[in-house]
Amino acid sequence: MHTSSKLKSEFIKKWVKGLQICCSSKKNMDFLERKKKIKLCADIALACAKNSTSWSIALISEAKKHDENKTLVDNLLRPESQIKPQKTNHQMCASHKRVRSKKILKKSHHVCQRMKKMGPPKSNIATYIAKRLVKKRTQVLKRLVPGGESMDEFSLIEEALDYILSLKVQVDVMRTLANATEVLNQSDSSIFD
Amino acid sequence: MFTTHSRLDAVKPDPGMDAYWAGLDGGAFGDQLGYGYINPNTNQRLLTLGNSTSVSVSVSVSPKKRKGQSLQVVSDKEKKIKGCSEGESRTTNQNSNSKEASTNTSSKEKSKVSEVQKPDYIHVRARRGQATDSHSLAERVRREKISERMKYLQDLVPGCNKITGKAGMLDEIINYVQSLQKQVEFLSMKLATVNPGLDFNVDNVFTKEIFQTSTSEFPALGCSSVDSAYYQLNSTDQVVSYCGLDMGINSAEMGLRRGISAPISVPETFMDSSCFNQIQPTANWDADLQNLYKMEFEQVTLIPFQSHQFTGSNEGSNMKTET
Repeated sequence: MHTSSKLKSEFIKKWVKGLQICCSSKKNMDFLERKKKIKLCADIALACAKNSTSWSIALISEAKKHDENKTLVDNLLRPESQIKPQKTNHQMCASHKRVRSKKILKKSHHVCQRMKKMGPPKSNIATYIAKRLVKKRTQVLKRLVPGGESMDEFSLIEEALDYILSLKVQVDVMRTLANATEVLNQSDSSIFD
Repeated sequence: MFTTHSRLDAVKPDPGMDAYWAGLDGGAFGDQLGYGYINPNTNQRLLTLGNSTSVSVSVSVSPKKRKGQSLQVVSDKEKKIKGCSEGESRTTNQNSNSKEASTNTSSKEKSKVSEVQKPDYIHVRARRGQATDSHSLAERVRREKISERMKYLQDLVPGCNKITGKAGMLDEIINYVQSLQKQVEFLSMKLATVNPGLDFNVDNVFTKEIFQTSTSEFPALGCSSVDSAYYQLNSTDQVVSYCGLDMGINSAEMGLRRGISAPISVPETFMDSSCFNQIQPTANWDADLQNLYKMEFEQVTLIPFQSHQFTGSNEGSNMKTET
């Protein structure tokens, strides 16, 4: 898929750039710190490469909350940074409103449904159980997908789709890089032997 | 967010529908979605999922202040709508989606009569023997949207073909996302161990990128023969030319040559694409690398390099130790 390879190239560039920024700031990091930095860079780079989806926007805004990541994020976002902040703010406000209104609606729904639920479950336990299962799982999925809390079911599935695609890209790239560096190190060490 | 009433004013009902709507006062619906037209939102995301007749349009429900009125009026009109013949009805998206989220909806042609639909509005026809209640229609639309997406997800998530229920599908999706996330964690840990300084060979990376953009696979067997041939080509002139150039570019060469010299046990994708790049006239490679380097480094150009063969020797490592 040429779109995925384009995404891969974007991702790599941003990731490496981010890593350079990261390691320029701190010289000697221990293992866990390094791992965190790597992962963070990778996540942000992926989100920046995939700019227009809501999960990526959520990830970016989440990262921006911490001051230390701000420069990183800004650098990685640089070409689109003029557009992004407005969009993220707007979207975040909209999503907050959505969350609030949803909560109110849910509460009122619960009341109604409690009245309704007295009857149907007796006759249609299977569907009732199925619905409960689906609800639980959508909740879990909402927690997994970044920014999923404020989405309705349909867009959640869409975002999950997109997120899966980009996660695949990320895993692919990281895997090849890890293997490549491993190979490099092996051949390095073999020379010295 | 646009306002629904302004949109409706601009709407003219289908000529065929005049008979139905004649009785309904247009003015009363000035600011409702009473006809059951779903107005598109300005930010649309077009997704065509294999169904050629479906057009997906993102919809936003009317703003909060109108919601109370509009829902009432809609229910009134629905009673009248039910009286229409041919079992035809339009549905609003409000009932199914009373939350203020914007959704993507698709228009479908289901019934025997097919009319030219305005692309902006969602027209849903009731199927034979099914309720024409707007609630159930909206539910049906919603369910069909979701099942479409589920099908798409089935292609994406491996091993989902046998599961049909929504809960099972969601389960699989959750597992897959979790496993992918864990893989990312693990790989980042691996990278942290493998690379003690976070100083990734940037150009090593770029070589990988080029590998990934190459589309065809090269058989692993071919690789080995090529390797041996290229091993011989560790000419000194390469080493010399390396010295003069930026370290970055050196490591690109190194990376690539390393890749070639690696045993075939290295993951196939990596190997295959690298060998592929070896054999082919490196047109892609050159162009891509050139672009990349120009963009990223704006430093030494690769032109002197491109004529050189990329070999599987360990020159690069020598270079590394020397410098």
